Amino acid sequence: VRWGVVLPVVGGALLAAGAGMLVCALVAAGYGDGGGLAFALPGSATAALGAAGLLLGRRLPSSPLRPRDGYFAVTAAWAASAAAGAIPLLAAATFAAPVDAFFESMSGFTGCGATLLDDVEAEPHAVLLWRSLMHWIGGVGIVLLVVAVAPATGLASQRLFFAESSSPTTERLTPRIADTAKIIWGVYLTLTVASCLALFAAGMRPFDAVNHAFAGIATGGFSTRTASIGAFDSLPIELVTIVVMALGGINMAFYWRAVHGDSLRPQLAEVRAYVLLLAGGTAVVAASVLIADDVSGLGTALREAAFSVVSMMTTTAFITGDFDAYNDFARLVIVSLTFIGACAGSTAGGMKVVRFLLLSRTAVQEVQRQLQPSAVQVLRLPGRVFAEDVRRTVLGFFFVYVSVWALGMLVMAAVGLDAVTAGSASAAALNLSGAGLEAVGATENFGAVPPAGRAALSLLMLIGRLEVFTVVALLTPAFWRRRWA
Amino acid sequence: VRALQPALDALVVTGNGASPRVLKDAGAKEADLLLAVTEIDEVNLLAAAAGHRLGVQRTLARVRDAEWFGGDQGFARDILGVDAVIDPEHATADDLAETLLLPGAVHVEHFAEGAITVAEIVIREHSPLAGVVVRERPEPVPYSIVGILRGGAVLVPTAGERVQPGDRVFAVASQEQIAQVVAFLDGAPEEVRDVVVLGGGRVGGHLAKRLAGRCDVRVLERDAERARLLAERVPQALILHEGDLSKEMLLAHGVDRAGAFVACAGDDRTNLLATLHAKQLGARLCLAVVTREQYVPLVDALGVDGAFSLRLTTAEAILRFVRVDTVRAMHLTISGAEVLDLNADPGSAIVGARAEPAGRLSGCEVGAILRDGRVLIPAAGERIQAGDRVLLFRRRGTAARVEHAFDA
Repeated sequence: VRWGVVLPVVGGALLAAGAGMLVCALVAAGYGDGGGLAFALPGSATAALGAAGLLLGRRLPSSPLRPRDGYFAVTAAWAASAAAGAIPLLAAATFAAPVDAFFESMSGFTGCGATLLDDVEAEPHAVLLWRSLMHWIGGVGIVLLVVAVAPATGLASQRLFFAESSSPTTERLTPRIADTAKIIWGVYLTLTVASCLALFAAGMRPFDAVNHAFAGIATGGFSTRTASIGAFDSLPIELVTIVVMALGGINMAFYWRAVHGDSLRPQLAEVRAYVLLLAGGTAVVAASVLIADDVSGLGTALREAAFSVVSMMTTTAFITGDFDAYNDFARLVIVSLTFIGACAGSTAGGMKVVRFLLLSRTAVQEVQRQLQPSAVQVLRLPGRVFAEDVRRTVLGFFFVYVSVWALGMLVMAAVGLDAVTAGSASAAALNLSGAGLEAVGATENFGAVPPAGRAALSLLMLIGRLEVFTVVALLTPAFWRRRWA
Repeated sequence: VRALQPALDALVVTGNGASPRVLKDAGAKEADLLLAVTEIDEVNLLAAAAGHRLGVQRTLARVRDAEWFGGDQGFARDILGVDAVIDPEHATADDLAETLLLPGAVHVEHFAEGAITVAEIVIREHSPLAGVVVRERPEPVPYSIVGILRGGAVLVPTAGERVQPGDRVFAVASQEQIAQVVAFLDGAPEEVRDVVVLGGGRVGGHLAKRLAGRCDVRVLERDAERARLLAERVPQALILHEGDLSKEMLLAHGVDRAGAFVACAGDDRTNLLATLHAKQLGARLCLAVVTREQYVPLVDALGVDGAFSLRLTTAEAILRFVRVDTVRAMHLTISGAEVLDLNADPGSAIVGARAEPAGRLSGCEVGAILRDGRVLIPAAGERIQAGDRVLLFRRRGTAARVEHAFDA
């Protein structure tokens, strides 16, 4: 491991996490409902450690970053942030077991939104804010933040950027990757402020508006209420939340291109498919609920279906109604949509719409190829042509992704969960949707999962957030072999 | 150079044509015209630009990649000082596309800014023109027959000439009526619905792009990389990566049922052989692109419906640029005839002459006259007026001085 490149990244991430904790400590002091010290001390320690790592790393001889260093640095930065983020939750006595605190913290940073809390309202303001803040910091990428604020050498930044990014193809908006990172964070910040104002205007108290803006635009899902958005029982709030989640599911670069007047065509196909899937999913779920379930009227059906579909497909998992109480068809449609997820380059999880489109194209082309073996097939979406290695990467991604999900499901079953719970819990963690079926259903928390399972789910979240290859590469023997340094 | 020098009545200089020194040595300062027509776009542009600086009066560059200019033709003239840009492959592909989209014709050429069209048609047994004397031909709409190609030789028809089955005739009509004329002369025209193109090079690529969306296009290309590039650029066409040319391969891609087959694979022998194959398998309209003149006599013998020559297309473009100002456009047929689009200057010798193959116009046939924006098919006794655009047909090498009669 080349510490000269790994330390600054991990240090930078810890510094960001520490700064976040200190903000929470200030909030605790303001509200006076506890948790001040629980955040102030770990916050200072984490920030100091991070700063030390950053400075120390800068002094070490910087060497060219190999792909494996990039993967290692990014994974280490995320794991370290999640570990640090767990400390105040333990210190504030929110959780007694370290594994529970780590689960909650990992769920926060990765934007998963799966929680172990029974009674959210009982927690002090600082803890609630910290949960949302973790979502927000992790949203478009904690390493991206490091790259934007404290850029390493150009090539290193680039490797880090792509090791963390949630896109099947490399794309940059500016010649320098650090500038691209700044732009993405700028767009993200703007959207967050806008969401916060909109939620406030829709009737939330300022504290709730801030938290739900963080959790919504980051497509995380932690709420300040046990009953999530359902606790507000307000149509305007639900509509605004739907829009916020949907916006969080679109590529940040897309907004910049739109504002900057660049051509949107390369990403338009994905965004169009994303919107169609949201609308189609809503229509299908609403119809099935109307036919098979006891729902009063079309309006209610649409309102509930739209919220559930948008919330789950963007892998946010804010809850209004209990979609787990719907008929099995609707439940499976909703869970299936979490596998597709939202757009690449967004804050959402899942496999991403663009990969789903490319996989569909490939499937169709494979069938055509049986009939016309010599036809030259180009992987394209409207306005964009993909190189053949993208096809290979996407196919490989799909297989690894599904394998990881299946393995996770087996582990969940091994620790004692029933089949439906095991499958949906594994999906909820890997897809970062944060809600599953049965014992981990919409209105339940993850308390039903035994501690060993919680650790496994934490790992699944990390794998899902870093888009499988980054973490899975670390788990292969070849990664640790010294020979091909 | 050693091979070239004795064959040409010209000074041959060896060197990089883009180098100002070589250009200077070649006498660029006093030159009237510089033609940069090497294989490489960049060299051509640089040579033309350098020549322009050195004081050459007019420059012409061959540029095959239209994307060079990003769609801005003014760039060549204003920034680089290149007076004209020619792209023979593109022009040939356009010719091929025009032909395929005009059912019944085997070659089409436009003149007078598109107002007048010349079409080459093969006369078969069932054609209303078969066995008919030219002067007594049925004429549902006005058109003229300016030339007949029989047994590889061009003749400017005398009034009593009888059209025989197997002849190819050159018919002239206005742009609006040419489709009607060609359909009538062919007797049983069928619209081309699907085209198989052999070769996805520059000609094949442009052709596929022109035809895609208007008919079903299949392109056979043996080079994997080029096939991929074409597939990326022309999504509507089906690009097939196929190795060697064989009967089985052609059959597998439905050449036997194809409405048209175009061979533009870059090698004359391959093209002619493939076209012959396709014709025998049953493809209806078979067109071939050839580069070397010596294969031209074979075209008729092999039963190829139409042959397109890149070299002639280049020559057309260059001659159009070089010739006296009265020649607005010209077309060289592969069979050795040429069509001239001439401007009758006020005060020139031609004004007042009868538009018939006698006197000043002996050896030439007037196909059409564009007068005051209207296309006129000359009746007997029609006289040429000042300002007319006159479309002349003649055998190459005859009546060489006729264009000077149009010059004031």
